[in-house]
Amino acid sequence: MVGVFDNEFDLLQAFGKVKSKGLKIEEVYTPYPIHEILEGMGTKTRITHAAFFFGLFGALAVLGGMYYAAVESWPLNFGGKPFNTFPSFIVVTIVATILIVTLLTLFTFSARAKVFPGKKAEIVDIRATDDKFVMVVDASSPGYDAEELTALLKASGASDVY
Amino acid sequence: MYNTEVRGKLIDGDKSLKQISKEILAPIDAKTPAWWYIAFIISLGMFGWGLYCKYITISTGIGTWGVNNTVGWGWAIINFVWWIGIGHAGTAFSIFLLILRQKWRTAINRAAEAMTVVAVLCASLFPLLHMGRPWLFFFIFPYPNTRGPLWVNFNSPLFWDFVAISAYMLISASFWYFGMVPDFATIRDTTKSKVKKAVYGFFAFGWVGSSKEWLRFEALSFVLGGIAAVLVVSVHSIVSTDFAVSVEPGWHTTIFPPYFVVGAIFSGFAMVLTLVTLMRKLYKMNDFITDAHVDAVCRILVFISLIMGTAYLTEIFIAWYSGSEYEMFTFFRNRITGDYAFQFWAMFVFNALVPQLFWFKAVRKRLWVVFIISIIINIGMWFERFNIVITSLTKNYLPANWATYSPSIIEIGFFIGTLGMFSAGVLLFFRYIPMIAVSEVKSVAKFDKPIPSHGEHGGGHTSNERPLTTNNSQN
Repeated sequence: MVGVFDNEFDLLQAFGKVKSKGLKIEEVYTPYPIHEILEGMGTKTRITHAAFFFGLFGALAVLGGMYYAAVESWPLNFGGKPFNTFPSFIVVTIVATILIVTLLTLFTFSARAKVFPGKKAEIVDIRATDDKFVMVVDASSPGYDAEELTALLKASGASDVY
Repeated sequence: MYNTEVRGKLIDGDKSLKQISKEILAPIDAKTPAWWYIAFIISLGMFGWGLYCKYITISTGIGTWGVNNTVGWGWAIINFVWWIGIGHAGTAFSIFLLILRQKWRTAINRAAEAMTVVAVLCASLFPLLHMGRPWLFFFIFPYPNTRGPLWVNFNSPLFWDFVAISAYMLISASFWYFGMVPDFATIRDTTKSKVKKAVYGFFAFGWVGSSKEWLRFEALSFVLGGIAAVLVVSVHSIVSTDFAVSVEPGWHTTIFPPYFVVGAIFSGFAMVLTLVTLMRKLYKMNDFITDAHVDAVCRILVFISLIMGTAYLTEIFIAWYSGSEYEMFTFFRNRITGDYAFQFWAMFVFNALVPQLFWFKAVRKRLWVVFIISIIINIGMWFERFNIVITSLTKNYLPANWATYSPSIIEIGFFIGTLGMFSAGVLLFFRYIPMIAVSEVKSVAKFDKPIPSHGEHGGGHTSNERPLTTNNSQN
């Protein structure tokens, strides 16, 4: 069952009611992110945690790489300064780490949200990227009653139910 | 928390969500206007001349430029720093205003980010060709090679610069692109043209706006926003160390990193102002880029202009206070007076004095005055870089080494080429990419409107009573 709403306030109302009935909401499609929905859907993302570990890995890799090149592989004497010039390695470490975090987080996002080049869009209602807020309720969830749900969605302000 | 009372409306004209997508995306579906072709051909002509000058530079060598042994950095480095500075506005707009929860950024950030990507591309050409043998540019990349392996010098600001610029390029481009994915999906789902549907559909990466996508999209914006904020400060600080780490009078100073960063944001915001005034005039985006938006950018500029003026005066004061005769000479005899006094005073007047006009509301609300001042700031910032690069180099410690510098026609052509490249890039952006972030504008649209009156909500809610906790436009 698909309910189409004209604005986020109606959607949120219907969302709350459907949830309190114990029905499973399969997915909600909106033109912009709505935090109550993102929280209410119960999906969690660990992208921020992943980004932290990418950063840790990146910083160590970059520092280690510079240490290897400047101390192990080909030490060069610049005016008697130490080979491991740690303070000036920090500059490159910061910037290169940011680059590594950005790229790896992008790939993680792409893989987890399944948004990647060449993907065919699985469109439920084509108006959801324009101006409609679309909620899909799972018909197989217990307590599902098509007529009752239609009435509920309409009462919460759905402009279209199918 | 954001308060519409302070800044005025985010969107004029009480628009429905459908109107927002329709009006912003209109230029993509509309017939290309004649002025666009004329402007594009002129840009391509400039770009072509730039290409010819690059060909001469590569085939004959750096000798075709006006640089000499004393003044080894000429227009190329001036223009490099100038373009990178302009390129800073994208991140500054997207990230700083995001962190500060300034909702008015949603109308402008897309243009600022687009500008960033093109400006950084223009900037990167200058050091590349200044290498003399640009076909060996990859030597600067630290990779295991057959020349020893010979590594790059990790202590050199020039290498830091390479890392910073390439990272900045990639990061701002990906930030820009991923912000556009939901808008490409909107084009895919609303356009009537089959070709556009296929092309934008490809670039939309299968986006449908599901909660799973938005959830991760928000997390991604959060991460990228957080770490890219560091870049705004670090990239131009690193550019400034190109100068500050050397022992030239006028360069070897600790004020340089903040001075450069603020200058970069200053010129970037000025260029953003130029672009948004054009968007308002040429594409009638007045309802989305309201007078309040222009006003806000002007107010920021007047503040940054004060910082610039303070920085100029601090430099002069420190030159005197240092007691170093070389510093004194550089600032008092070679900048404020002397051969390059015109460039110094142009810098000072254009950057520190002219923007003070923005204190007056009468100036801020006259779009053509705002446009002219934004151009003046851009010119002023160019003179600032001229002032830094050329005056210090022409007359340093040893009078026997003194030399003058004037650019050759090839250098000038190279610069004009990048101007053409920039304007061509911006024109393509206007024509083929949603110039305002549609989904982000939609997400702030509700702040201007009363809650609809059916359902359990009474009709009595006004925008003032709106629960501001539904603050959901983090990207």
